[in-house]
Amino acid sequence: MAGIIGLYGYDTAWKMARFIYYGLMALQHRGQESCGISTYDGERLLRECRAGMVDQAFGEAELEALRGWIGIGQVDPEPPNGGPPAKPSFAKCPLGLALACDGSAARALKAARERGLSAGDPQGALAALLSRELANGDPFEAIERIAGELGGACNFIALTERGEMIAYRGELGIKPMVIGNFGFDYGAVASESCALDVIGAELKADLSPGEAYLFTPWSIERRKVREARPRYCAFEYVYLARPDSIINGKSVYEVRMRIGEKLASESDVEGADSVLAVPETAIPFAMAFSNATGKPIGMGFVQTGRRVRSAIRPTQFERLVGVQLKLNPIRAAMAGKRVVLIDDSVVRGTTTKNTVKVMRNRMGAKEVHVRIGSPRIISQCPFGIEVPDRDELIAAHLSEEEVGKVVEADTFHWLSLEGLIEAIGLPRGSLCLGCFTGEYPEAL
Amino acid sequence: MVKVLLVGEGAREHAIASAICRSTQSPRLYAVMRLRNPGILDLCLKSGGDVAIGDSMDPGFISRAAERFSVDFVFIGPEEPLFRGAANAIEDMGIPCIGARREAAEIEMSKAFMRRLMWRHKIPGRLRFQAFKDLGDAIAYIEEYAESVAIKPARQAGGKGVKVIADFQAYLSKEKGHVKAEHAKAIESKYMRGYTDIEDRILIEERVEGPEYTVQMFTDGDSVAPFPLVQDNKNAYDMDIGPETGGMGSISGKGMLLPFITQEEYEASVDIVRRCVKALEADLGVKYKGVISGQMMLTPIWGPTIIEFYSRFGDPEGVNVLPLLRTDMVEIMEAIASGKLHKVKMEFEEAATVVKCFAPRGYPERRDLAAGHPVGIDADAIRAMGCEVFYGSVDLAPDGGMVTGGSRICEVFAKGDDLPEISDRIERCSPFIRCLDGWGVFHRSDIGSAALLNRRIEQSNLIREVYRYRMGKGLIGMEIDWIPGKGKIVHSDW
Repeated sequence: MAGIIGLYGYDTAWKMARFIYYGLMALQHRGQESCGISTYDGERLLRECRAGMVDQAFGEAELEALRGWIGIGQVDPEPPNGGPPAKPSFAKCPLGLALACDGSAARALKAARERGLSAGDPQGALAALLSRELANGDPFEAIERIAGELGGACNFIALTERGEMIAYRGELGIKPMVIGNFGFDYGAVASESCALDVIGAELKADLSPGEAYLFTPWSIERRKVREARPRYCAFEYVYLARPDSIINGKSVYEVRMRIGEKLASESDVEGADSVLAVPETAIPFAMAFSNATGKPIGMGFVQTGRRVRSAIRPTQFERLVGVQLKLNPIRAAMAGKRVVLIDDSVVRGTTTKNTVKVMRNRMGAKEVHVRIGSPRIISQCPFGIEVPDRDELIAAHLSEEEVGKVVEADTFHWLSLEGLIEAIGLPRGSLCLGCFTGEYPEAL
Repeated sequence: MVKVLLVGEGAREHAIASAICRSTQSPRLYAVMRLRNPGILDLCLKSGGDVAIGDSMDPGFISRAAERFSVDFVFIGPEEPLFRGAANAIEDMGIPCIGARREAAEIEMSKAFMRRLMWRHKIPGRLRFQAFKDLGDAIAYIEEYAESVAIKPARQAGGKGVKVIADFQAYLSKEKGHVKAEHAKAIESKYMRGYTDIEDRILIEERVEGPEYTVQMFTDGDSVAPFPLVQDNKNAYDMDIGPETGGMGSISGKGMLLPFITQEEYEASVDIVRRCVKALEADLGVKYKGVISGQMMLTPIWGPTIIEFYSRFGDPEGVNVLPLLRTDMVEIMEAIASGKLHKVKMEFEEAATVVKCFAPRGYPERRDLAAGHPVGIDADAIRAMGCEVFYGSVDLAPDGGMVTGGSRICEVFAKGDDLPEISDRIERCSPFIRCLDGWGVFHRSDIGSAALLNRRIEQSNLIREVYRYRMGKGLIGMEIDWIPGKGKIVHSDW
């Protein structure tokens, strides 16, 4: 997974780097290990890539140096692999381009090798491929050739040294992608609509799966490149996306509120005194659970430091640090109380166990009933979400009752798969539920 | 035999020509055009009239044509001849002219003049503004008061050069300030270049947001005769994406209203325009005789608000409603000339309409690339679809072929009961308009679509709630700030 954005100014007076910077900050939850911006200044492509979070990695000097009215950016959850950070990827010849990518570009490696192109990582291979194909004529035909080999689970935004910007959403539509606009001044594409909001642009539509947009200095063209086979990622709604985003036409906030209602109807806790959320994804679940059951909501935890997505940190140690910093409990919210604790997911069970133990053993909660706003995660994600091996997934091995004992909860419940599908409100056939079922829209 | 001379060569003038030729008096139509618009040319020749090809903005050329053809009326389509005094020249010859005299047309020509007029007469729907004669002063003002503004050339410059910047995020203000200053420079060096007929150069207005619509009407200086409301779409591409154009297409609803404008708002809009016509006479002693249009927006501050005035029909907006006009155009022209417009009953066919503009690739930013392509328009096939084509920026070559002029090639009109159905019908015409050298032609497929209409309705409902709330609080037309050390500042007069 990654967060990507592309902005296309209609007026050369615009300097887009700062808009991209803030757009990336809004997408920071999609990747916190590295980030980069590339712009086009009318003559050439410029690029700055950095390790770390956007607001720490980029200063005034970098933003000033990134001239130009067209640009793309990427935040990435993978730390730079040995070498210097290099996303967005660059291809120099035959056509100079920069490419930001979200999803799985694994098949680009094979396609690049078959053409005798050297490529390090999959995203770099995709950049090299696109450079080669775009140099040979019609841009849409080039995208079509590549999309056919890429599999359907990859979105990308590319910027060429001809001043074009190309946005493509893979035909499975696994990763979200939206298009928006700011007055008569610039067009925007981004992983999530929250990035448009933050830079003042207006959300216009989702890119349809298999759809490409080509921005040139005097046109914007839209073309269906591949027949849509939508399999929208359900986990975006549970955890990945921001609640202020609207993806695939559905408000993430509304879906999360419905998840909370489903949890309430599937597994209310008789006689509980308070509903508490593990911040911050689970907050809407807990609010809706409270609304539906009439049990008062409380605030159980305060976060220390910056907003960190604990579940997508690369190492176990970092995940633990993330969770512990994020969860300083408020004693008065739980001492002596029968508490419903709502969280967004359980992967290994360690962080939940830590939390429950602290609540009961140190804060004095009388009962802790754990409710999870995600169905059991039992399988890996082949599309770029870091999910541990099946061996490490507690849900793949233990029953609810057994998990309850492991994490030392009074009761424990995972949202049902049916509950999630109903909460999302899209047809089951149009969703990718692979991490919950092990069934994927494409062969791995 | 009534003879009418029409000035102008665009799709709007084609629609005017068509309306004139529908008169039961079978008028003979003449035209002054810069290019040979095939549609207008055809109507002139069929009616027994003629055309004069030359500088259609030059009052001298126009009055010589009027004299040569010894016409009874002159109808001036576009604004630029009015700004240059074409109506004055015609009227001085003793020929009635449908088109404002230069002094009155200033309501369109000078945006600063228009705003001052509205403020002086306290006409509702006015926006706060500053006019600058000096670029340096404008830039200094922008730097000091960086906020959400519209920056415009003080003069009407072919509809170009307006930049509206929403500046709500402090963290992006620096970039936006840069663009505002750059745009002010561009206004001076590009958009206002060559215009020496006006002292003010740059206009900075408060930025407002809301659905836009156009209210077009005839006036004889005393009463007004309005057309059904029309809504134009300015972004170049579908879903309101892309740079600003002169308009990519427009819709009108059945009856006088649009689906997202109320009767009350319509009446308020007509009233604003009427009051401005009267204000012009009060200040200048000139009766406005011709067409006047309010380019309106429903805003939180006023409800119906003037963005700009047109001293003419909008283009494409005129093309929506002129074909619906049932009242005889010759009768209307006579009534305007004699100051008896109040006796004319305006009648319209009860139909919704959609107009879509077809433009060569390159429009609007690179007209040099868009011009000079041979173009084919199959008017018969379009008619067979139940649509009608009005020719725009195309020139009829001596060999009978057509060449793009760089702006919108043509506008396709259709009418019916249901906007999305009409829109679909026009979509089926798009294969019939193409450049014969393979150069791209684009249009907006979404004009008239349910999706776009719903967006407008949603936006209108929101704005309506806000201005009604403000009305209830006695805040219409004003804004109250509290500034530390200065206290309460009421911006209701300026």
